[in-house]
Amino acid sequence: MSKFIIQVNGPAYGTSASHSALRFTQAALSSGHEIHCVFFYQDGVYNTTDFNLPASDEFDIVAAWKQLALEHQVSLVNCVSAALRRGIVSEQESKENGLPHWNVGSSFVMGGLGELVTGIEAADRLMCF
Amino acid sequence: MKKICVMFRSAPHGTSKGREALDFALLSATFEQEVSLIFVDEGVLHLLKDQQSELIGGKDYLATLKALPFYDIDSVYACKQSLADFGLSHSLLSIPVEILNDETISAHLTSVDEVLVF
Repeated sequence: MSKFIIQVNGPAYGTSASHSALRFTQAALSSGHEIHCVFFYQDGVYNTTDFNLPASDEFDIVAAWKQLALEHQVSLVNCVSAALRRGIVSEQESKENGLPHWNVGSSFVMGGLGELVTGIEAADRLMCF
Repeated sequence: MKKICVMFRSAPHGTSKGREALDFALLSATFEQEVSLIFVDEGVLHLLKDQQSELIGGKDYLATLKALPFYDIDSVYACKQSLADFGLSHSLLSIPVEILNDETISAHLTSVDEVLVF
């Protein structure tokens, strides 16, 4: 059994990167592997906004990530600098900066790139999507 | 400590990939990982000197390439064929790089623990 860290660089919609990452993570978990965390970087941070509203007949990737985190206790970490420069803002940062809104759901935590690096060190294998 | 290779495959400025690749590389080095950089395909355009990112609303992250030695990132490679494809000779490059052919690039990629492609 291996311990994976998953890096998601593609947005929720527009490329299949996030969906491939989700499927890989689900398959790894169902095969008994461990997931250190899922780290959202680059455009991957667009997976973490609560303001995605796909049509009812479309796959809701944000909901799927939340479900996965809930079911398997997988930590979903957002790169804070990549997120903030793309308008992906947590409640805490919103309040600290006097913004009227925030969009990051409670299933995701904001973290630094250091968490990615220490995760890579702790895991057997990094998978990038 | 892991051996981490950051591969720059995309041109600078048109996307934020190169900038975020460099952010990751520098951060990894400060976390005492053994970091190497490799520039291939359009990624070699990062190495062209005298670029002015500010003129297109960008951040001058290319200047940070000059700071790589201060982060103890000494393994900086460029693909020989990609440099030739873009007509880039040594004198046009902003930082010293070791130029590798396809075989040595393959060997390097297999010698590291993780490769991150941007």
